[in-house]
Amino acid sequence: MRTDKTATADEVVAELADGMTIGIGGWGSRRKPMALVRAILRSPVRDLTVVSYGGPDVGLLVAAGKVRRVVFGFVTLDTIPYDPWFGRARQEGSIEVTEYDEGMFAAALSAAAQRLPFLPTRAGLGSDVLRVNPRLRTVRSPYADGEELVAVPAQRLDVAFVHLNRADPHGNAQYLGPDPYFDDLFCLAATRRFVSVEKVVDTATLTEEGPVQSLLLNRSTVDAVVESPHGAHFTTAVPDYGRDERFQRHYAECAKDPGRWPEFADRFLAGDEKAYQHEVTRFTEESR
Amino acid sequence: MTATTDAELTYTSDEMMSIAAARALSNGQRCFVGIGLPSTAANVARRTHAPDLVLVYESGTLGSKPDRLPASIGDGILAETADAVISVPEVFNYWLQPGRIDVGFLGAAQLDKFGNINTTVIGDDYANPKVRLPGAGGAPEIAASCHEVYVVVRQSRRSFVDRVDFVTSVGHGSGKGDRERLGLRGAGPTLVITDLGILRPDPDTSELMLSQLHPGVEVEQVREATGWDLKVSPELSRTDAPTEAELSTLRALKEASK
Repeated sequence: MRTDKTATADEVVAELADGMTIGIGGWGSRRKPMALVRAILRSPVRDLTVVSYGGPDVGLLVAAGKVRRVVFGFVTLDTIPYDPWFGRARQEGSIEVTEYDEGMFAAALSAAAQRLPFLPTRAGLGSDVLRVNPRLRTVRSPYADGEELVAVPAQRLDVAFVHLNRADPHGNAQYLGPDPYFDDLFCLAATRRFVSVEKVVDTATLTEEGPVQSLLLNRSTVDAVVESPHGAHFTTAVPDYGRDERFQRHYAECAKDPGRWPEFADRFLAGDEKAYQHEVTRFTEESR
Repeated sequence: MTATTDAELTYTSDEMMSIAAARALSNGQRCFVGIGLPSTAANVARRTHAPDLVLVYESGTLGSKPDRLPASIGDGILAETADAVISVPEVFNYWLQPGRIDVGFLGAAQLDKFGNINTTVIGDDYANPKVRLPGAGGAPEIAASCHEVYVVVRQSRRSFVDRVDFVTSVGHGSGKGDRERLGLRGAGPTLVITDLGILRPDPDTSELMLSQLHPGVEVEQVREATGWDLKVSPELSRTDAPTEAELSTLRALKEASK
């Protein structure tokens, strides 16, 4: 096992190939690995299947034409109910979708994490989710209860991208906010696992900042660590920072208006991560 | 919104709806709360007759006691004031699916006469709908497994339809006995609270029927705002008008949340 797993965003994204299935951690517009997503936008990769508790990660990848299919339970910006890019792509039918609810989605990831073919759940029985997704089957309990349940198929991932607050160079990674989201499941479900963090620290420092339980990922389930300050921008990475609501509104307004989008893309997405963060600082200063 | 005058008090039909929904919750219940109308009502209940109501939000906050309305389920105030914070997978695996929640409190974009909820698409062609809605979220689990489901929603012909275009969250399916047949353990929607009155399932057919009218509202008005031939319960009653305490609690909460 490599002991120093630090890498750059471009290096980990270079491992992607066209047509891969990628999982993106976080939840809605919260602790999304946005710097890694921005690296994907800069790469030539395409035809991705994106598995996500979707937020602006999905919107940006759709906007850049990287996506063939989205597997989702929702796509939201939290304070803005619906990501405009995802909304338009769905309305136009330009992407394929596998639409779950959150519980089925979690069952699909859990099954993959456990290397089981499926996991049973009660949710979805009698709903039209089963009608529009003929791939979904039910299964009957072999025990006395004989209960019929939805058999949610495992959602394996080629690659998982997640963003946490801290990690050491070996891949032990820590969240300092209130919610782990599903980031551990994304990593357990994936073949290759890449984590970006606000700060890389030495191993002893991790437990100075939080209890050992806050170490959500350990080096056995992480292949590369990318130090990426403000790497979740404009989503939250509390306690390091909250959501940049002004920037998110700007993103959503430009995403709604095809006439304004090129200006947004040119200003924020044409350069590398350093250029992005520089423009964000300027954008923030403009409002003062 | 129409303003109603009852004795000295003036209130809107939306305020009546929130207060009627708050009254439906009992002290000590564990209530799974959606953002928006359900969250408003649950927080009014906790400040009036149900101080020990346990509010559970989908982000994994158990027993939240916010001093204002949360802007979204990710609002930090929910975690900061909670008894405990658990992860979202735990919410689904250990709280919803095993039936540890008394009341699931939901909103709806579209609801039908059997209380089935649609938050997926408007239009009957899934591949080519008129409007795509944000999607299921956690509502299907809530509808499947909470002991009871209360729905709070403004009543109109657009939102109250004979059959929903897409069953996102199962209510009573196509009628009585469907939930048992499907193996859904909770009782499903037992109350639908609107700005006009309250609907409950007919014990014989599970079809929603009008069981309570808010002050100043007539049966015909509710029927006109319903997309099916709405039946009226033989025990139709009147909602008590909001009390001064209820109204001032609701308004203070709204004011604190601006």
